[in-house]
Order: sequence, then C-alpha cells, then structure tokens
Amino acid sequence: MSATVDPKLLELLVCPLTKAPLRYDREKQELISDQAQLAFPIRDGIPIMLVDEARPLD
Amino acid sequence: MTATSTAPSGTAPASSTHSHAALVTSQFGTTAANYVTSAVHAGGPDLAFMTDIVRRRSGGRVLDMGCGGGHVAYHAAPYAREVVASDLSKDMLAAVEQQAAERGLTNIVTQQCGAETLPFTAGSFDLVMTRYSAHHWRHFPAGIAEARRVLSPEGRAVFADVVTPGDPLLDTFLQSVEMLRDPSHIRNYSVEEWQRTIEAAGFSHCTTERFRLRLEFKSWITRMRTPPVMADAIRALQEQMASEVRDYFAIEADGSFTIDTMVMVARPA
Repeated sequence: MSATVDPKLLELLVCPLTKAPLRYDREKQELISDQAQLAFPIRDGIPIMLVDEARPLD
Repeated sequence: MTATSTAPSGTAPASSTHSHAALVTSQFGTTAANYVTSAVHAGGPDLAFMTDIVRRRSGGRVLDMGCGGGHVAYHAAPYAREVVASDLSKDMLAAVEQQAAERGLTNIVTQQCGAETLPFTAGSFDLVMTRYSAHHWRHFPAGIAEARRVLSPEGRAVFADVVTPGDPLLDTFLQSVEMLRDPSHIRNYSVEEWQRTIEAAGFSHCTTERFRLRLEFKSWITRMRTPPVMADAIRALQEQMASEVRDYFAIEADGSFTIDTMVMVARPA
C-alpha cells in the first residue's frame, strides 16, 4: 500500500456532499471541504471520503 | 487468503442501532476474501458481456461502483486507461488492491465511498459500471443519479444486478431469502423499475440483456457466513413455497436455485 495519495485520483476527487473542489492539507494529511466545513482524513495514502469519518472544522 | 476470523458472523442483536452503511461494512468486512474467489462473482456471461463493452470502448476511465470483490475492475483494467474501484468496505478494497497486484494490474485505484455520495468530479468517467451492488444501496435513485453525474457526455453506464421477476408472489420470495441470508440486503428491483429509475435520473435506456444465474446453496450460504438459523429458515421457506415459486426459481433438493440477472446499458439523455 503506497503512503502517498495517487495524484490521478486526487485530481478527480471532490467533496461527496457539496461536489466542490477539495484543498489538500499535506501536513495533516486531510482533504478539506471549505463549503461543507469538513476535513476528510487520508490514511496510508487512502482518502476516506465518508462523511461519518470526516472531522468537522471549527 | 482465507477467512480465519472466529468472530461470530452476521446477525446483529435486535437492539442494534447501527446504520445500514455500518451493516454493509460489517457483512462484507469479514467475508471480503470470499468475494474475490467466488465463482459466481468471478465469471459468468454477464461479466463477459460487460467486459466486451469495455473492450469496444477501450482507452477510457472506468468506474466500478460498489466493486465488492473487484471482478468488473479486473476485467476492465486490460482495456481501460484507468479503473477506479469504489466501495463502502475498506476490507473489500484492501482485498481488491492485493488481488490487482497479484494479477499485475497497475491501473486500478481504489476509493472508499458510498454509492450515493461519490466524491468524483462531474463527467470524469467514460464508463460507469456496477455489478451486484445496487441492491445494497440505502438510496437506490440517489446512487443512479450519482452514476449519471460522474459519467461523461459521450459515456455509457452499465448496470448489472439480480432482478425480480416483477410478479409479487415471486418477488416476495426472492427478497425474503435474500434478506435471511444477508441482513444488509435491501431490495432487488425489476427491469421495469430499473428503467424508470435510470430515466428519472437523466439516462436514456439503450439495451437490456437478461441472464439466469444458478446459485449453489452451500457456497451461497458459506460465502456470506449466514448463521445456521437463517440458512435453515431459507430451506424451510423454500419447502413451503407453492409450485409457481418452486418452478420459477428451479428450487432443487439441496436448496440450490436459479435467479434472474440483467445488464442494462444506458447513455446520458
């Protein structure tokens, strides 16, 4: 399993709720949906695009 | 890879408050490897028909939506530029990644997500395919609408699943045994329901191919680790059914039976 997100996949990804583009936070390994105020975790290079597993932004 | 977990399988307690998504994930977490090796899933004329569609439209990006054991993805990969295999179950996706690596298929990427909330840019796939998955979706029309959204204007959607005969007597039997076997089963739809749903989502129906699929009872039960009490209930129900039901589903002495499947091809309306 690769530890970095597949760049081809990253290009395709949008917020599952708003369908707006995501911001890649390399340091925290999260994909940020500003509109939905959610941070989707990237674990072992795999973006977890489940609303239930996203971290609400303060 | 074998499933050696000794955890009690299947049935959640009656007081359970977990979501449908959690139920799907738990049903397919412990059984992931079985779906990679299952003959019913790994082959069949419906899969050959789907593979042919990818071959004829080769070179594009393919989505295998609710990929399960990943068989559409493995068959599509040789003819596709790239295949995205998406599923709700992380364990299923790990099994798919391992199998893709073993087969030397380097153009398959996996993505954990729900069918109703695909995290992909609109119009990004030349083929959106799904096989034996839609009957698990919590919101069937929403999943179909997502398939439409992520499909490119010149693309094709290919929907494959078990279908109901459309006769209430036969339908109720099918849904009953399906749910006894797998509590994460929601419903199989008829070809007519499929067509109405895809048209409501902005698809034009192209073709529907119908197939019959024999389910060998023992492997069908073992694959899902159905608890004995449920398997016994299925056998008891089969034995009590009227001749119309027994004949239609060709119910055999050992509980094996035959169901209908289809592959529906659609394009953006």
